[in-house]
Amino acid sequence: MDLDKLLEVGDLCIHPEPPVCNATCPVHLDVIAFINEIEKGDFKKAYKLMEKRIPFAKLIGKICDHPCETVCVRKDAGGSIQVSELEKLVINQGYTAPKKTLPLPKNKGKVAIIGGGLSGITAAVDLDKKGYMVSVYEKSNRLGGRLWEYESDTLKKEEIEEELQIFERQKISVTLNTAIDQSRLETLEGDYDAIFIGTGDWEEKLEINRESFMVGESNVFAGGKLAGEGTSVIGSVSSGRRAAISIDRYVSKVSIMASREREGRFETPLNYKTDNVLRVEKINKQGDYYTEAEGIAEAKRCLKCVCEDCITTCSHMQRFNISPDAYIRQINQSERIILGTHYANTMINSCTECGLCKERCFLDISMKDVIHETRESMVEKGKMPVSAHDFALKDMQFSNSDRFSMVRKQPSKEQSKDLFYYPVISYSKYAQGLYKGTGKTGYLFYPGCQLSASHSEYIGEIYKYLVGTMKETKIDGDVGMYLGCCGAPADWAGRQDLMQENIGKIKDVWKEMEEPTFILACSSCASIFEKYCPEINTISLWEIFDKYGLPETKITPDRGVLNLHDACATRNNPKIHESIRNITKSLGYEIKEFGYSKEKTKCCGYGGLVYYANRDQSNDFVQDRISESTEDMLVYCAMCKDLFVEGGKKTYHILDLIYAKDLTSAGLQKTPSFSERHHNRAQLKIDLLSEIWGEKQTMDTTNELDFSLIIPDDAQKLMQDRYILFEDVEKVIDHARKNDEYFFNPETKNYLAKLRHENVTYWVRYEENGKDVIVNSVYSHRMEVVEEP
Amino acid sequence: MNSENEKNTPWVCGKCNSKLELQKVKVTYLGGSFEVELMKCPVCNFVFIDEDLALGKMLEVEKGLEDK
Repeated sequence: MDLDKLLEVGDLCIHPEPPVCNATCPVHLDVIAFINEIEKGDFKKAYKLMEKRIPFAKLIGKICDHPCETVCVRKDAGGSIQVSELEKLVINQGYTAPKKTLPLPKNKGKVAIIGGGLSGITAAVDLDKKGYMVSVYEKSNRLGGRLWEYESDTLKKEEIEEELQIFERQKISVTLNTAIDQSRLETLEGDYDAIFIGTGDWEEKLEINRESFMVGESNVFAGGKLAGEGTSVIGSVSSGRRAAISIDRYVSKVSIMASREREGRFETPLNYKTDNVLRVEKINKQGDYYTEAEGIAEAKRCLKCVCEDCITTCSHMQRFNISPDAYIRQINQSERIILGTHYANTMINSCTECGLCKERCFLDISMKDVIHETRESMVEKGKMPVSAHDFALKDMQFSNSDRFSMVRKQPSKEQSKDLFYYPVISYSKYAQGLYKGTGKTGYLFYPGCQLSASHSEYIGEIYKYLVGTMKETKIDGDVGMYLGCCGAPADWAGRQDLMQENIGKIKDVWKEMEEPTFILACSSCASIFEKYCPEINTISLWEIFDKYGLPETKITPDRGVLNLHDACATRNNPKIHESIRNITKSLGYEIKEFGYSKEKTKCCGYGGLVYYANRDQSNDFVQDRISESTEDMLVYCAMCKDLFVEGGKKTYHILDLIYAKDLTSAGLQKTPSFSERHHNRAQLKIDLLSEIWGEKQTMDTTNELDFSLIIPDDAQKLMQDRYILFEDVEKVIDHARKNDEYFFNPETKNYLAKLRHENVTYWVRYEENGKDVIVNSVYSHRMEVVEEP
Repeated sequence: MNSENEKNTPWVCGKCNSKLELQKVKVTYLGGSFEVELMKCPVCNFVFIDEDLALGKMLEVEKGLEDK
């Protein structure tokens, strides 16, 4: 994994970029944090935030010209947030006198400050704190300059004097009634390491660098009005502070401008969208100042501008409370660990890889791609936790074993001759399709593993429909059948080894069958075929329904309204979106679109194998989507239906609308357990072979059992939650009974037996009643226990 | 890894009816191996792991090792 490239992607993310108020503030008050503290009613903390950024916060906070308010995003939606009023409130309610600090030895150098106005006093105090011996020369009889112009009931004389006492406390030398002109300056230059001019005007034109505030190439610096800050109070104090940094660097002989790009006002790349912002009028103060309640109400109007378009629609980033930039830093850190714990593993395996983040990001940052690449890298380095995807990969292995997988050409005319009699041949499109068979396979129906597990009852019907229908299409040829798994679990798990092996097998079948077009009924299969074998022509079953007509089914008008959930794997497949909508309307339903649909659809929670790696995370996705629905839901991906039904939502698969015998119960059909999914696939193969090809295959019953297994509902739930299959339980008990290897509890008459199968040890606690074995509990562990004396 | 109450476990070895005893046992995972005290049948050497142990401490250690 190219980590430098990864970090570049992370740098693109503007989530950490400041809001425009903060960027425009010359001293960069953290306005959002400040507002948050006010909302919490913690005015002391709010004042601390002011103090951290604003010189003489108690005074400047009251007279600041607040450039932040002129750019506030709230401006046209009820008026800018009144930071000026909020600062006054915070000073009134939260001011605490600064703690006394130990005086630093003033040995860093000598600096003269000419002019005791806003920029001068700021530079003086900042340089004093940095350890300089500072001398202030002021032409009038008091420090403060323009501060005195603001003297009023709001800013009292005593307050100004009290704050300026810092000069006495810090023993900063102040010489009043002393004007310094150009000739005097030249004599001072030799006495001081640096000089700051903050006099407002100067007899000669000074060539001031607006970034460093240095005058020409000398040890003289200037700020305030001289440096173009005009009448801005906050601009003046900012220039004094920044000039003090330059002076410190100049005297210390380090680079004056390194890493200071965002010191003054700057343009933030954050462009907060106000399309969905509701207008809320600003809070007007009833007295001279905001009351606490008024201030809190005003603070609540703040939009807290931040770019989080991807996060607000992603249950994954919400659960881990993370933004793409921080996520990428964590991946970078995790990838660089040689010895130590990879704390980000669970997070990385909790992304559904649905791709909505990229759709929402105007910079096209795709966390799906980043996380997918990370998973592949983890696998390559042997750092992928085995338990995250082991069960799903074993399920894939099952689907591609003889228990389910099969490839068959369309039954030949010879095989089907029993159907070619009157009247069957006159009305059965299927019989007609078989009769027109050519022996060349033009199409291969590939229903996928999950539809075959959840809705095995529809597969034979669909096949017969296809045999009858596809003869009417342009492609000459029969319709074959291919059962198996496309490899999506391997792709999600980052297992390129398994993925390539699987796709190789699919391509071999495709070539052997003379390159037929695959008919796909699963969204994940469609995306896998597109990604790994674009040379194979595919068409979705939904497009066939749309284009060549639906199977015969009862269609009544006005059957109701459904919320259509698009499968995330079809995000970039508008053809599927269109055909599903056409079919649904043809079937007599009205569609109510979700706010997030088609290319902006959300994941059901199955994608990325999150259902196996982090069930709680998967449930977040399920509940998020369900919460957006107002009607019964309609889906066209088997796992979407299973997860939504499991989450308590009445959900139809589009095939239910066509083939279900009892539509009401189909929408609430209990999700088959993992064991039932295996059984359904295996049984489907047996049934199809028998019914369509006249071949016999029986269930694998090599293991003759001398007991009958009873698994109550609560034990079945444990099996599902703990990824334990019926056949695992059967093997454990059979082994225990045949080899007398078990523990026994005489108090409860319970047996406890175990058996290690591949990389997992399964334990079953059970009771016996004659030939009946009743399972009470199941659990497993991956650690291997060495049983030796 | 052993929990306190296991010492008084009512479970016995089904094969030889022996009481289980706390003994040092070798466990391995992801290429690493270490010794822990677990209940086992002193005669048949079958090691007893109850549900709490498997889904508690043992799972925690497995996950810890997987994240190494």
